[in-house]
Amino acid sequence: MRRRPGIAGLKSAAAARDQYRLVGENVARIRADVMKEQLETFRTQLEDFARKHKNDIRKNPTFRSQFHEMCAKVGVDPLASNKGFWAELLGIGDFYYELGVQIVDICLSTRSHNGGLINLQELCSLLCQRRKVAREAVTEDDCLRAISKLKVLGSGFEVISVGKKKLVRSVPTELNKDHNEILEVAQAQGYVTIEELEKRLSWSSGRAIDALETLLKEGLAMIDDGHRDGKRRYWFPCVASIFSAQGSDGLRSS
Amino acid sequence: MQRLGDFKLPHFFNYPPYFTLQPVRETREKQVQLWKELILDYCRSQKIFVISLEEDFPLFSNPVVERSLSHEARQVFLAALVNEGRAEWVDKSHKKCLILWLRIQDWADYILNFVKENGFEDSVMTIEDMRFGIETRGTELAGIDRGVLLRALKLLEQKGKAAIFKGASADDEGVKFSA
Repeated sequence: MRRRPGIAGLKSAAAARDQYRLVGENVARIRADVMKEQLETFRTQLEDFARKHKNDIRKNPTFRSQFHEMCAKVGVDPLASNKGFWAELLGIGDFYYELGVQIVDICLSTRSHNGGLINLQELCSLLCQRRKVAREAVTEDDCLRAISKLKVLGSGFEVISVGKKKLVRSVPTELNKDHNEILEVAQAQGYVTIEELEKRLSWSSGRAIDALETLLKEGLAMIDDGHRDGKRRYWFPCVASIFSAQGSDGLRSS
Repeated sequence: MQRLGDFKLPHFFNYPPYFTLQPVRETREKQVQLWKELILDYCRSQKIFVISLEEDFPLFSNPVVERSLSHEARQVFLAALVNEGRAEWVDKSHKKCLILWLRIQDWADYILNFVKENGFEDSVMTIEDMRFGIETRGTELAGIDRGVLLRALKLLEQKGKAAIFKGASADDEGVKFSA
């Protein structure tokens, strides 16, 4: 049949398009409905699960971490608000809130020693020491989660990665690339020398000194002139863990 | 945790930079505070009253991390204690320092309390006995520095709570307490 040009032809093409569109919308709506239903089922099952395993979630960090992953997949954030089903049932909001408060406290009390930068491992360890009484184990994962909640409150807390370590920053000091590189080098022995920076990073001594002086001024570094080789060492408390007991009482990391 | 005898050393003692005087003000303040506390705690636990800067004082070096406080650093920390009223220079050249891990007034209060608790009002004790006798064994008074004790007793004398008297020889110095 010959295609019909002209107004009539256009009209029927438009009608056809409309038809297709309606069908398309229907399909989309049905899919969305099905998905919504599925999601609702997931949520209900998740709530049942949480009810049944409430104690495990509180006491077992690995379990807790997996539970959070599950929630994330389904689009549920048990920490989204301090009220409502999740908070009431699990008290999880309280748990992380409390953790957040303790983390802030630890960061504040160690600030004069480390300049406002503390490594995650040490933070976690100090936290565990404090919570020994409550006997609820805390992992680095939990710390990170609590800190991300702190961030939402605009508290200026941030986690940065330097080399293999994660550092928690509780002061507005911004570290530039040179500073980061120094911290990375420092991770090996806890300190650097100007000579080492010059060699390892191929810097001029001026560049090394400038960066180190800034870190010193910010309270992130301490000088040490006591070695018998007479070379000045710049130590970085944030890459060490001197206040937490190391060794057998177990630092859990995720 | 590292120990010095039976004394538990704080963590910072094993961190080498704390043995070097820090140039940055806030860091220096923290450093001074830590050392002041350590010196007072250590002296109290070991009943040390006088520190000689020129002699080896176990707190001033840590062989584990191979660091020692310079003479200047020792001066700075002790001077900080002096400023706070927790220590006194014994000599003008600042070579010896009397550590008042309890202030003289605190000692006076302690003695008063000790007298009350043990019913020594209206009784007499020799200075020697107060320092080394059975009655004070196990209390803070055991082994107290003679000079410090006398100063504390003088304070009590001024308040009418005690009367110091001298006997025939220096060993006969004693004190009578009144209620």
